[in-house]
Amino acid sequence: MPAPILATKLYVPPPRTEVVPRPCLIRHLNEGLRRKLTLISAPAGFGKSTLLSEWLAGCEWPAAWLSLDKGDNDPTRFLAYLVAVLQTIETGMGAGAQSLLQSPQPLPTESLLTALLNEISTVQEDFVLVLDDYHVIEAGAVDEALAFLIDHRPPQMHLVIATREDPQLPLARLRARGQLAELRAADLRFTPNEAAMFLNEVMGLGLSVEEVGALEYRTEGWIAGLQLAALSMQGRRDTTGFVQAFTGSHRFVLDYLVEEVLQRQPDRVRTFLLQTSILDRLSGPLCDAVTGLEDGSRTLEALERGNLFVVPLDDERRWYRYHHLFAEALYVRLMSEQPDQAPTLHRRASEWYEHNGLPSEAIRHALAAGDFGRAAALIELSARATLMGRQEETFMGWLRALPDEEVHRRPVLGVYYALALVSHDLETGEARLRDAERLLDGTAHANEVVVVDEEEFRALPGIAAITRAYHAGALGDVSGSVRHARRALDLLPEDEPLWRGAAASLLGLAHWADGDLEAAYRFIADGMESLRMAGDATQSLSGAFILADIRTAQGRLREAERIYERALKLAEDHDENAPPGLADLYVGMAEVRLERGDLEAASRCLQKSGELGERGGISENRYRWYVAKSRIERARGDLDAALDLLDEAQRVYVRSPDPETRPISALKTRVWIRQGRLDEASDWARERGLSDRDDLAYLREFEHITLVRVLIARYKNERKEHLVRNATELLDRLLEAAEKGRRTGSVVEILVLKALASQAGDDVPDALACLARALALAEPEGYIRTFVDEGVPMARLLTEAANRGIAPVYTEKLLAAFDSVPRRGEGESHPSLAEPLSGRELEVLRLIARGLSNREISERLFLAVITVKGHNRNIFRKLGVRRRTEAVARARELGLL
Amino acid sequence: MVYQIRLQGHLGRNWTEWFGDVTITLEEGGETLLTCPVKDQAALYGLLRKVRDLGVPLISITPVKPAHQVGGADIKPRSETKRSRK
Repeated sequence: MPAPILATKLYVPPPRTEVVPRPCLIRHLNEGLRRKLTLISAPAGFGKSTLLSEWLAGCEWPAAWLSLDKGDNDPTRFLAYLVAVLQTIETGMGAGAQSLLQSPQPLPTESLLTALLNEISTVQEDFVLVLDDYHVIEAGAVDEALAFLIDHRPPQMHLVIATREDPQLPLARLRARGQLAELRAADLRFTPNEAAMFLNEVMGLGLSVEEVGALEYRTEGWIAGLQLAALSMQGRRDTTGFVQAFTGSHRFVLDYLVEEVLQRQPDRVRTFLLQTSILDRLSGPLCDAVTGLEDGSRTLEALERGNLFVVPLDDERRWYRYHHLFAEALYVRLMSEQPDQAPTLHRRASEWYEHNGLPSEAIRHALAAGDFGRAAALIELSARATLMGRQEETFMGWLRALPDEEVHRRPVLGVYYALALVSHDLETGEARLRDAERLLDGTAHANEVVVVDEEEFRALPGIAAITRAYHAGALGDVSGSVRHARRALDLLPEDEPLWRGAAASLLGLAHWADGDLEAAYRFIADGMESLRMAGDATQSLSGAFILADIRTAQGRLREAERIYERALKLAEDHDENAPPGLADLYVGMAEVRLERGDLEAASRCLQKSGELGERGGISENRYRWYVAKSRIERARGDLDAALDLLDEAQRVYVRSPDPETRPISALKTRVWIRQGRLDEASDWARERGLSDRDDLAYLREFEHITLVRVLIARYKNERKEHLVRNATELLDRLLEAAEKGRRTGSVVEILVLKALASQAGDDVPDALACLARALALAEPEGYIRTFVDEGVPMARLLTEAANRGIAPVYTEKLLAAFDSVPRRGEGESHPSLAEPLSGRELEVLRLIARGLSNREISERLFLAVITVKGHNRNIFRKLGVRRRTEAVARARELGLL
Repeated sequence: MVYQIRLQGHLGRNWTEWFGDVTITLEEGGETLLTCPVKDQAALYGLLRKVRDLGVPLISITPVKPAHQVGGADIKPRSETKRSRK
């Protein structure tokens, strides 16, 4: 339920009929199209918007225009309008980003923007996007979004920002690189010639050269000033007298001139101007509601004809606004002349907006009227829609504007406020929640409690419990989270599938974090079903991903595979547009295929996922692509590449309520162990505070198993008995816990490690006994990599097992898998190099030889540019060269290429 | 804390309310002095934003020690004392 998009914010203002032509500035703007950003930065009244609309009217390219207002400090609203304004260029553009925006699970802005940028890059035609009044933006999040947009700008989009103050963007950098075109006050102010042309030709005043000069000097070329001066002089006989009085006065130009202009209006118009100055946008009916008269439309048209700083906001002349500066001056006058009137006017505007279905405007005016009861009631009625539309910032802004006592007696507001707050600030959210709970449990006096929305009130105790469950879960209080989520399910009415789904999912995630996988599976499956009933398709796909994850942890690979197959089929039948979440399913499938030893199929799945792009995945799962790809590279023996990919995974990782069952740092440590970098591996264990005497918890299981690997590897080097003893003791405890939690996936790995530990300690019978148990569990599910990744020692053990007739078919299959993997990297490096190139370095070198830039290489290999540069440095060092061309020549000499 | 904001042009008294609790002093030479008690720096920036929105040229901003802390009338920075004697 997104808030309505106001079309007037997207209107490209048409050029005025009579203006001073400014060919020099137009040329500058045209040239600016070659750069990344055009910035028009100057105070109010310098004709920024006028110039832009003038330019766009003569520009060949289509233009989109977004007039920003304070509400756009809510990043979600800003993005919603960004999508809407792009759709004025091409219908359907940004549809993918739009659907992500509406998904109830919060996504990082960057993912949304990436989706949007991908869609923009498919547009055929070049176009201009104007962001007007950017100075209203104070939110860092919006600045960051824009900086990202500028950095990754598709070539067909030309961005223009008009603002009263320099935006918080990396302007110096853009300027230094010649990527910024700028127009500033000094460029925009009227030159003496332009002032003369304006006053005498456009306004037809017939002033002398001296008079024009005096006006130009007094206003310093400030266009709004010259315009007001011209209006004050129109129809006046004694223009010389006016010029003398004006230029002789010290009064602030705006004050002086607005007063002159107002004095020349009939009383009726003067009153109209003052009373409607409280409005951001003006329409006939709205003005009538505020003034109590019936001539709104006619008056607005007359004002436009009279050039009285009225700007049309649509082609039908239904909506207008005052020039900002003029509106400000009028409002100040209203406040000083009739201060008591303002609240009444605001209240009338609020009522009009309420009856015309624009609740957020109605709320804004109610707050401006100081009518907090009214504002609170309106906020209560649109609370759910606003939060469902993910406009949390807007909602919290309203709540902050309300006096506390108003929130304190409204349970609906209290609970929603707590829910919105808790994901930002646990403590404050919890405090609010406590207040709201007092209203719900009857501790407060009944006559103090105000409820406008009875419907909403029914679900309230349940929503409060969900907030509690979230709060507890975020603090790591699993049992508390479970208790509150259960209570939420008891309290919520059956016809609230959305909230029931949220509660069940929280319950499931809590059980998962606690290691109770079966319960987690059940609750998440239930929750997904509810969310699907509530019409949320995205959730059911990402749910499948979680469910298959749980099955994998339970060692039920075949079932995980079936879940992926079913979900993939559903998603593909769905429609030709890939639903969000599809790309993640391919990643999950890739990991199953990989475990089964089918590297080619795994690679194909990852490639499909990659082709679906960011749009096809939930951003929280993006890192999983890199983890899967890293596992494939590792299986192929290219450990450097595997590490690079894990670095990338770390870079894109975002925290989410999903438990982090395989921390990336632990994955990296496992590669280090493989590379013999045991110091780094031990450092990791120390940094993570891991010890073999730790109490066990499911969430640390992967790290503890990794610690065992560190201990065994060290034992092989140092031969200190306590190392293998500690490893074995920890393994025994881990095994008991995993068996108790029925996590067969972990059990298999633990048994494999126990076998390897015994083997390292030369206890072959025990090693084979453990291996036999692992094989018995793993055979029906078709595990391959869990064994093969252990390398030569495992191959030896398996041969031994085969000789003794343990699982003969399976061991044969596993041993065959050791040989079939094509190895890259070490084997290929050239003997004449002191330090051989790694597989990844060779790959980079081949791309350099093909003339690809660092950026192109980074895109090809899915690496950050900085990582590619790191490889270049290593390549150069190892080859003893200093630049790319030399590297290629040297590599050819050595036969590396 | 109190700040004095010097602007170019004589501002009408009706802006007092718009700026919030400020004292508007019109100086010789066509400048306006806003004497603004502000809670903190953030409030000062809020005021400057209003100056920006008005489009009135800004000349200077000077912090002033509150009179009760200094005692007596000598609360203005030196340059200003000079100006008022002129």
